[in-house]
Amino acid sequence: MKQTPQKGNFITRDHRYVYLGGSLIALLGLSLLYSREHPYSFMISGNLPEFCALAVFWIFLAISGFALIVKFFYWKTYSNSFMKRPAVMRVSRWLSYLVVLACILAIIDRGLLQLIYTVQICMQAERNPQEFVSSMIYMSIEGKNIILTGIWTTIRIALLGTGIAFVLAIFMVFLRIQEPDKRDNDFVKAVKWCANRFARLYVFVIRGTPMMVQALIFYYFGFNLFKRTGMTVTEINNVWSFFISGLCTVSLNSTAYLTEVLRGGIQSIDRGQTEAARSLGMSNWQAMIKVVFPQAVKNSIPAIGNEFIINIKDSSVLSVIGVMDLMYATKSVSGIYFRSLEIYCVAAILYLILTWLSSQLLKYLGSKLDTPYKGITSSN
Amino acid sequence: MNETVLKIEGLEKSFGNLEVLKGIDLEVQKGEVVCIIGASGSGKSTLLRCINLLEEADAGHIWFDGQDLMDLNVNLNALRQKIGMVFQSFNLFNNKNVIDNCTLSPMTVRKVPKAQAEETAIRHLTTVGLADFIYADSTRLSGGQKQRVAIARSLCMEPEIMLFDEPTSALDPEIVGEVLDVMKELAAEGMTMIVVTHEMAFAKEVSDRVIFMDQGVILEQGSPRDIFGNPRNERTREFLSRYLEDKQE
Repeated sequence: MKQTPQKGNFITRDHRYVYLGGSLIALLGLSLLYSREHPYSFMISGNLPEFCALAVFWIFLAISGFALIVKFFYWKTYSNSFMKRPAVMRVSRWLSYLVVLACILAIIDRGLLQLIYTVQICMQAERNPQEFVSSMIYMSIEGKNIILTGIWTTIRIALLGTGIAFVLAIFMVFLRIQEPDKRDNDFVKAVKWCANRFARLYVFVIRGTPMMVQALIFYYFGFNLFKRTGMTVTEINNVWSFFISGLCTVSLNSTAYLTEVLRGGIQSIDRGQTEAARSLGMSNWQAMIKVVFPQAVKNSIPAIGNEFIINIKDSSVLSVIGVMDLMYATKSVSGIYFRSLEIYCVAAILYLILTWLSSQLLKYLGSKLDTPYKGITSSN
Repeated sequence: MNETVLKIEGLEKSFGNLEVLKGIDLEVQKGEVVCIIGASGSGKSTLLRCINLLEEADAGHIWFDGQDLMDLNVNLNALRQKIGMVFQSFNLFNNKNVIDNCTLSPMTVRKVPKAQAEETAIRHLTTVGLADFIYADSTRLSGGQKQRVAIARSLCMEPEIMLFDEPTSALDPEIVGEVLDVMKELAAEGMTMIVVTHEMAFAKEVSDRVIFMDQGVILEQGSPRDIFGNPRNERTREFLSRYLEDKQE
């Protein structure tokens, strides 16, 4: 058979996997159609749509099976067999499109409509249903205020925390990059040395301890500090709330990581940039502010966005001090209904949606700013 | 006319155990064009970088503008303004466009008003033949254009002396000429220049004095005619002959 260049992508062009892929899709459709019906189903056993879909699936499976047998007996000469005739190939391809269509219908019927039905049932349900998905939906609907507050708190902490951390990290990285110079006087040398060591120590301590421990220490440290001033517990809780102390934790934690990010950004700038600036008479500081730092920040934007996503996830440890974030909200809902697995799955899905949306947003911003975002790398 | 601009005495510099400069003495007169030639690793670039303290020399004196640059109390930033430097890798500020590259230093260091700084910049950019690229992105220029911007950028600080560190080594042979032409023009205008170069034709044509460096010392110096026509030192002769052979291939 003459090979002619064909248009289209892998799926529409290549015939080799039509039987294999089509069979898998047909099996998925069959398993859906033979699953439990629900009142909204338009494919009920015995009605025309269901019959047609079943027929399509079974016929396609039969043809695929037949093709398999032919292939088995004519292993070497299969390409010359009648299965490879253009007409047969065209028919099987059209049938595979029908299979996909039928499968989509089955997914709408048994998947989407089932979900809508379940949600409606759950909204009217008097108590937590036993079934897994129903229970997830029931608890999400019943606890939606708590969960929405949690999501909002998580977003605020991640956004504000990363923002504050960025400002602090700019300050911290300037301490970090101080190196005593031969031409400085002794006082300046000492100040620079101290600044450098302080920043190093800070990064060392923060990066070397878990954020959960940091959260607890910050919270109780602040609490005890305010207690010394003679405030009552209620007053302290107003000033040094869980949210505020949690935000401090995230900010101070991210500061350490962003300091390293910015330092890496500064180091990645070619030495020649500084040398050119210095050779034109600029001071070290001017060269840094006007030339090196703007480039370093621009290079660091993807990593800063990454830190934001990490904060969305890692702020979950703040629930130990009682910050009303998504994790704490989930725990609360789980406590109300005495069901854990279901609601934690909901939390996982919500976190996934948050991080996915953020990474899409960062990708978009990255393309605008010409600083490509490469996806989430590692967690703190 | 014989006014000494730069005087170097006994300059020494080592990187770890490697002695790169072993006591360099050099005097440069006003308006003089000095070309430094020599094999790679002979210390030419290091000498140049020591002159404006991009490398801190270990010993010796660098007299410039009545002050010793090796004195730890000297105001380096003020002195560096008068020493222009052009790098092998151009080192244009990547975050600035062409004109901002030129105006940045006058505006930050000298506090020149923006309008005036831009006027000066445009004048110098026009001299180097880049009047059409004033607002171009500096990262999108060709190597030759970048190097000419770098020269204009140095000129904007109105230096008393210009140092060129292999300004054409990173360029295609075809566009070396456009940079050398600018440098020739500068020399003709009476700029004091020290040029580290492998462009022997340029050294022969433009320089007032050629210095041959080898293994951290100045082996021989003299007029281009003497050095290229009648080198006295065996090592100089060897270097030049090998260089000419390479060129002919």
